[in-house]
Amino acid sequence: MKTRMKEYRARLSLTQEKLAEIVGVRRETIIFLEKGKYNPSLKLAHSIARALEAGIEDIFVFDDD
Amino acid sequence: MRARLILIAYAVISVLGLMMMLARENVYVVGALVLGFLLLGHRELWSLVRYRRLPVIDERVRHNLTGAMRLTGGFFFLASIVLILLLRFDVFENTPTGLIISGLLVIVGVVYLISYHYYDRVCPNLGETAMRWLKICLITAGLALSTVALAIVLHNMVSAWFGFEDAFFFILGLLVAPAVLAASLLGSLAVFIKGLWASFRGVEPA
Repeated sequence: MKTRMKEYRARLSLTQEKLAEIVGVRRETIIFLEKGKYNPSLKLAHSIARALEAGIEDIFVFDDD
Repeated sequence: MRARLILIAYAVISVLGLMMMLARENVYVVGALVLGFLLLGHRELWSLVRYRRLPVIDERVRHNLTGAMRLTGGFFFLASIVLILLLRFDVFENTPTGLIISGLLVIVGVVYLISYHYYDRVCPNLGETAMRWLKICLITAGLALSTVALAIVLHNMVSAWFGFEDAFFFILGLLVAPAVLAASLLGSLAVFIKGLWASFRGVEPA
């Protein structure tokens, strides 16, 4: 799975720390998510998409797609 | 909130446990528990000192904690069985029981720490090939350890039954299997450190 979190985060000028605070996770979790090394739950993916003002499918891209 | 309650409950039970142990003069066990608490709770303690709040326990951390606890629980179960067997055959002779229990607690603490770092740092940073190597090395280490125990038993049995000093199981149990065990442990350590190193190297600034 690939993510476009970094790109969307940059658009909103959000730091990893700030995004982590908004969605209620640790900064390390954001780092792992951005590197595609952690698959989030649907709930977390939804929270991130909302925080980044985008749809889940815009942020998280599956390799099969 | 739930994490805070669990931590407070854990702290209260620990203090009561420590007081009981101190009352029974089990200083080694108290030392092991304090060391274990510092090792396991260093992130929480650091966060409390530095930011005056507990770190967030998100779904990734919860998943890592569950995995580490499962592994440690399994290890604790197996280690307790081995310890009971060793105590049954009086292997430790005059060693104080407190020292033996504290040794077990410290080892269990270290296993928990390694397991947590495996899930938290190593696992996400290793590719498929490295993970396969880690699995092969750990399985080989387990097999080598079992071979040591089995070879010692078989050596004694063969020597007793046939009345001559068996050489095959002696060499297997005391030379070959320990060498394989050492090599596989070194291999797993190398892969583990590779994953850990990649995680420290890959941390980006916020």
